[in-house]
Amino acid sequence: MVYTLVEDAIIYACSLGLLACGVNLIYTSTKTFNFSHGCMSTWGVYIIFSGVAIFGVNLYYFFPIAFLLGALLGVICYICINGPLLRRQAKPVTLMMSTLGFDLILYSGIQIYADFLTYTFKLYPRMISMRMYDFIIGEMRAATIVAITLTTATIMAFYIFMSKTKLGIAVRAISENPSLTALSGVRPDKVYLTAWILGGGLACIGGAMMSLVVTGTPVMGWLVIISVFAASIVGGVNSVYGGIMGGFIIGLAEFLGSYLLTFPLGSWILQYKPIISLIAMTITLMVLPTGLVGIKETRLAKKFKKLTISSRGGEI
Amino acid sequence: MIPPTLYLLLSILAEFAVFFIVTLSLNLEVGHTGIAQFGRVLAVEAGAFTVGGLTSRLLAWILGLPAGVEYADPLRNYFIVDEINAAFSENVALGLGYFVLSLVLAAIVGALLGWLTSRPAIRLKEAYLGISLLAYGEMLMWIAYNYQPIVGGTIAVGIPDPFRIIQVKGGPEGGFYRNITITFVMLAIALLMYFLAEKLTKSPFGRTLKMHRDCEIAASAYGLDLVKTRTMSLIVGSTLAALAGALYVFYAGACNAGAFSRLTWTFWPWAYMMLGGVGSNLGIAVGVIIFLTVRVLIVQYRFDLAAALHLPFDPIWLEYTIAGLAIILIVLFKPSGLIPEKPVTTLPRDKIKSILKSIEEKQDEKESPT
Repeated sequence: MVYTLVEDAIIYACSLGLLACGVNLIYTSTKTFNFSHGCMSTWGVYIIFSGVAIFGVNLYYFFPIAFLLGALLGVICYICINGPLLRRQAKPVTLMMSTLGFDLILYSGIQIYADFLTYTFKLYPRMISMRMYDFIIGEMRAATIVAITLTTATIMAFYIFMSKTKLGIAVRAISENPSLTALSGVRPDKVYLTAWILGGGLACIGGAMMSLVVTGTPVMGWLVIISVFAASIVGGVNSVYGGIMGGFIIGLAEFLGSYLLTFPLGSWILQYKPIISLIAMTITLMVLPTGLVGIKETRLAKKFKKLTISSRGGEI
Repeated sequence: MIPPTLYLLLSILAEFAVFFIVTLSLNLEVGHTGIAQFGRVLAVEAGAFTVGGLTSRLLAWILGLPAGVEYADPLRNYFIVDEINAAFSENVALGLGYFVLSLVLAAIVGALLGWLTSRPAIRLKEAYLGISLLAYGEMLMWIAYNYQPIVGGTIAVGIPDPFRIIQVKGGPEGGFYRNITITFVMLAIALLMYFLAEKLTKSPFGRTLKMHRDCEIAASAYGLDLVKTRTMSLIVGSTLAALAGALYVFYAGACNAGAFSRLTWTFWPWAYMMLGGVGSNLGIAVGVIIFLTVRVLIVQYRFDLAAALHLPFDPIWLEYTIAGLAIILIVLFKPSGLIPEKPVTTLPRDKIKSILKSIEEKQDEKESPT
């Protein structure tokens, strides 16, 4: 029982990390908190579900298709909504609100697609358990291996992209100072579009991954988005790696933390799982608004030095 | 026999009253003060749960009925509410007193909650503030949904009906007359709130809020306490929203924690506000009525619509498409909304001129003897 729980927690944490990573990438380059991330992730669930239910092959073959669809959704959102607003230098709240509009359209799209699946293929797409399509490799679920591999690959790919390629360096530069970057010859359009493509793709893959632990429903994205925001804020909104780190912390806290809390408190605590992430987010916002990434190593070292000096009786 | 269209019209009017107050309160915080209020549902919940969990209990305790944890027990709640309703149908004053006391208490709780949410939020700005407010709203809903003794958890608790006497006296169509009465009471309260909001917009307080919205740096340079302004705005807005929540549960006759989703009580009001015009109180009334009518009509005639257009899906989802498209189109092409905000005219020009003249005359009178 504990073994499955740990595996579930790892899969959940990995997918939360991927989702939060996408939110952070879009926020750091375009300064848009992407509300539509929730429904983008639900689209990922429906892609792999319809693939498996109709064609009946290995569900992991559909992950690249999910990535492509997410990228397409990101491109649509950028070209139709976010791009014009960014060119007009709209306020952050307006940007956020426009993605909410896109979210509602995506949600209705999911519901209509679910109706279509029901009528045409006689499926039951409102309560999806992808767990039953999963298989076991050795002694582990395939999903665990895929989740860990995907997350590691994402971190490594981002490291190479952000430090070695011109486009990646441009993304970092835009997040520091957009006007100065544009002045030195980088086209912001290209950078924003890249962020939306990668962010959207990660959203779909993260959602697809998450459906292997959580029951897939049309409102799954709306339920998950709060945890995703919590993860990205705890990690630090301005860093892609911060998103993955925050996702791990929040995901493990929600799954393993609530399980460990049942020993002293009793099983009622399990109902309040989402509140753990909300409390973590509130505390982070109050104590450390820049997130965990904002902690400077040098400052920690200084504090540590001071402590050691004072414990030695204050020599200097 | 009452025609069904009349019922439809009545339900649109009742929902209009509730959502108009909620959107007014949202407008006060977003349109006038510039706070990214993504947690409007919190204050609405506060009002609703005050009526469902506090004042109804108080009443049960006064009438000598069980009022503790067992009040919210779904098996017993129905009988308790039934007995209270029986008491109401004999005593009009008791019902009205309960109604007024509930609204007042809901407003007080809403104000307290507004102050409480402003405490951790004062240090944050824009998107961060919006996200943390969103989180608070979600937290309260989740607790009430899972902890049964507050308002019954997943099962709704009944709300005693202060207008029960009309239903009892009205004969077979009493329920309809009761609905008419409560709808018009709600509309009257909404109208009152509209005039209050208009007055507030023109008052020095309202202009302070707008100063905070337009340029925080300039406002603080003129000696405005930004934190205090933000806190005051959150308190007033939350009071209004709590009032709307209380009215809604009275209208519905039940209080269900699961009904207070962030879509219905935060994002729909945002859509209404953006359609009508951010910052304009009259525009909001127009936005709410247009959106609500479309929504209610889609929900009402969805089967006819699906049959007429040969849609292969349930048309109820079109509601979301329309709302999303409306938000995007408004943001892109008409950011000021249908009825844009007008600059505040404190007094008509003629009046200002006449006041100036009278002042000059007084000065002349003073100068002439010397």
